Amino acid sequence: MKRYLHLLLVAALAFAVLGMMAPARTTTAQEAPSGVFSGAFDYLLPPEHHLNSFARGGLGTNLSSTYRSFVELPHAFYMWASNEYVPLLGESWGFADDGSYYWTKVNPDAKWSDGSPVTADDVVGTYTIGRILGWSQFKYIDKVEKEDDYTVRYYFIDQPSLVAERLILKEYIVNAANYADLIAKAQELIDSGATPDDDAWSALADEIREYRPEQLIASGPYVYSLDDVGDAYMTLHWQPNSLFSDSVNFGEIRIWKGETEATTPLVLSGEVAHATHVFPPATQEAFQDAGIRLITIPRGYGPALLFQHDHYPWNIKEVRQATALVIDRAENAFLTNGMGATPTVYMSGLADISVPTWLPQDVIDQLDRYEFNTERAEELMRSAGFERNDDGIWADADGNTVSAEYKFPAEFNDFAAASLNAADQMNEFGFDITTRGVPWQQCAEDIRNGDFELSIWSWASGSPFPARQFWNPLQRHNYVGLAEGQKGINFPMQFEWNGEEVDLDAMITATGAGLDIEAQKEMAGKVALIINDMMPFVPLNYLVSVEPFNEKLVAGAPADDDPILKNPSGSDHFIIYDLLTGVLRPAE
Amino acid sequence: MWRSYAFRVTVQGLLTLWAVTTFTFVMIRKMPGNPVEVVIDQLIDRQQLSYEEARQQAAGLFDFDPGQPLIEQYADYMNKLLHGDMGKSISSAGTPVANQIKRYLPWTLFSVGSGLIISFTLGVLLGMAMAYWRGSVFDNVLTAAASLMYGIPDFIIALLLLLVAGVQLKLFSMEDVLGGVGQDVHAGLNLPYLKSVVQHAALPVITYVWGTVGGWILTMKSSTISTLGEDYIMVAKARGLPERRILTAYVGRNAMLPLVTRLAISIGFVVGGSVIIEFIFQYPGLGRQLAMAIGTRDYTTMQGIFLVIASAVVFSNILADLLFGMLDPRVRVGGEE
Repeated sequence: MKRYLHLLLVAALAFAVLGMMAPARTTTAQEAPSGVFSGAFDYLLPPEHHLNSFARGGLGTNLSSTYRSFVELPHAFYMWASNEYVPLLGESWGFADDGSYYWTKVNPDAKWSDGSPVTADDVVGTYTIGRILGWSQFKYIDKVEKEDDYTVRYYFIDQPSLVAERLILKEYIVNAANYADLIAKAQELIDSGATPDDDAWSALADEIREYRPEQLIASGPYVYSLDDVGDAYMTLHWQPNSLFSDSVNFGEIRIWKGETEATTPLVLSGEVAHATHVFPPATQEAFQDAGIRLITIPRGYGPALLFQHDHYPWNIKEVRQATALVIDRAENAFLTNGMGATPTVYMSGLADISVPTWLPQDVIDQLDRYEFNTERAEELMRSAGFERNDDGIWADADGNTVSAEYKFPAEFNDFAAASLNAADQMNEFGFDITTRGVPWQQCAEDIRNGDFELSIWSWASGSPFPARQFWNPLQRHNYVGLAEGQKGINFPMQFEWNGEEVDLDAMITATGAGLDIEAQKEMAGKVALIINDMMPFVPLNYLVSVEPFNEKLVAGAPADDDPILKNPSGSDHFIIYDLLTGVLRPAE
Repeated sequence: MWRSYAFRVTVQGLLTLWAVTTFTFVMIRKMPGNPVEVVIDQLIDRQQLSYEEARQQAAGLFDFDPGQPLIEQYADYMNKLLHGDMGKSISSAGTPVANQIKRYLPWTLFSVGSGLIISFTLGVLLGMAMAYWRGSVFDNVLTAAASLMYGIPDFIIALLLLLVAGVQLKLFSMEDVLGGVGQDVHAGLNLPYLKSVVQHAALPVITYVWGTVGGWILTMKSSTISTLGEDYIMVAKARGLPERRILTAYVGRNAMLPLVTRLAISIGFVVGGSVIIEFIFQYPGLGRQLAMAIGTRDYTTMQGIFLVIASAVVFSNILADLLFGMLDPRVRVGGEE
């Protein structure tokens, strides 16, 4: 017996030693160009990972908006600094003179990885399937038609819209031949007059989702198969037929799998050149100590303190304004995520980076910046009928204290830290706030249902348009934008302001309607002033993506003052454009 | 007699499985959020869609209706299950849950199973030795070490292994330790593949052993000390039986009894994997898959994995009952003399 146990012990030790002593594997060079760009994303493994661009588990799920353009190109890429689109798959685009449709023209030189040309049929086919799956573009357009071999028209249901333009230009175009049967079935169904409520429609949608293409046909300069998807990383291989095949400088894109905890050692060991994960401040410091550059770009949103307006006293404007004044936002931003957050400056409901673009200077001058000022907050509280009681807690004439439960998503480190600090600062001023961390799904559900007093969620968004930024949270988490029966923050959107009846919901929508930019700016100015005064939520800070970029591995990263760094992370990430156009290259 | 016991145990096991299946079915659906809501939130945050747009788009991604009455969902599920169909993943439409389990279970069984065998074996041997030489330097040092190892969470060990041994000391390349197997080797019964599998399992296994061996050592030690004080050991010594026979047949066998139950339960939970370890080492196991399914509220995948875990626990408990009877003749199956 003892001998067997000895044997087991020896086998166990041998197992461990064998594992540790195995030699390192070398990366084999792929086709020209040479060099490997290594990023990271928590993609899925097969069998969940497949090559259907229209279904969860396909390209959208596994490549994220940062890497997907390397395989499937959209028509264009947006530059935030200059507010313009630059071409990727598209050659030109625009609104019809009468505004009845939008048109795009595919670059006639564009080819798929199998050598066939990219044509208008691919674009129309992509949208034919998108219609069956209920794509959001069809809220704005009702018909997608081929004009010639490369040009496609998108007919508006109502008036033309810049938001619709962005949705059209940012959509990834899929190879129609790879989905030919499904596109034919979809077209037949649409032509038959069927609607999404019909069983045949649902059945086809199921068929589309369950379809598993055997291969990926790419318009981008890289392609991959499921054999390239490994447990630790997946590899995109260069292919010669794309518009960008000649300009890219990497033969492979290696995407390491994992969230922050798995990516950290990979960045430190020099395996990963660039990562978009949220790293805590201590890890950011470790990166810097290791000589890895940190590039900061906007995330497009930040944490906002949400008031549930049915709850007294948060329905009183002065109390909300006082709350904004007693939270030192610089401290709050630092504690939210060190370099990864900046204090909100303008308090306009619009991300600070968008303020100079969209708000007239006279409006900017009028904005109250709510700089930390407890004396001013005390005055506001007194003007609303509150005084500190014997315990130092603010209370109204009836003795009702300013008390609330502050609910926050416990798993979101940044939102949790922002909440705890905001509550601390409010308590220091004399409010009675208790904090409660809950699972994020619960927190989201409670916010939608209006089942909270104070909570936290995002404000603004990664869209360059004011309509989409004001929307969060005033429409997103308010009765006007939620499902029936959900009230969210329940901030009344129709009220009297400065002696005038306003409909804030309609005003926000108007900031994105039509094509008249000047009219949109004027309306955005009015909305900003109302939000700034009413303070329906407190935009605590704005998140910044602090991204490690190892310049020992990849050269050509933009300088800190490069305008492309005004682009937020996500589908406008600078990596997309700089890699495709050959700005990024292997370090010497 | 044995047949009636086996029948009883089987029925009990099936009833337990049904109860667990039903309980998890209901509990999973009582969790906040559902697969569609989770995706709606993601679409809103990542693509800046309005709620209505995100809802429309999310509905297009799922073959799942959260509005369907719970009882109907349950009837559908049980009907399929009775026909041997665990359904298809909600978050990856068209992917059978059975395929997911087939894909990930072997990796977990291999890594956590190996870890458990090594940990248990080491724990039993060292625990017995420490009890036998209790009070010695060997005992004191190992007791302190076992307490320390048991007290350090496994994810700290995993991160330390990667950051210190991998990043700082450069003892291995990340490519050689992350994942279940190297990317360039062909799957099959060939030496490079097997070597790669063992190599990639090494760190998860070491971490698992590190985090659990202390518990086995301390339990075995205390159990052995207690056994050594029993009268029958004194009698055996007085009878002049050889030390080796006393150790194996008298001490070891009796001291292991409390560990058998624990081992059986541990075997049951082997299939659940070690979630954090699998996440950190990107090991393609079932535990990580379960955690991801919980995050996306993939009800069918969660149910499938819970069913496998419950089956393993039930089966291993039955096995423990039988083993206990074999190890200790005083225990009669079913309490019968």
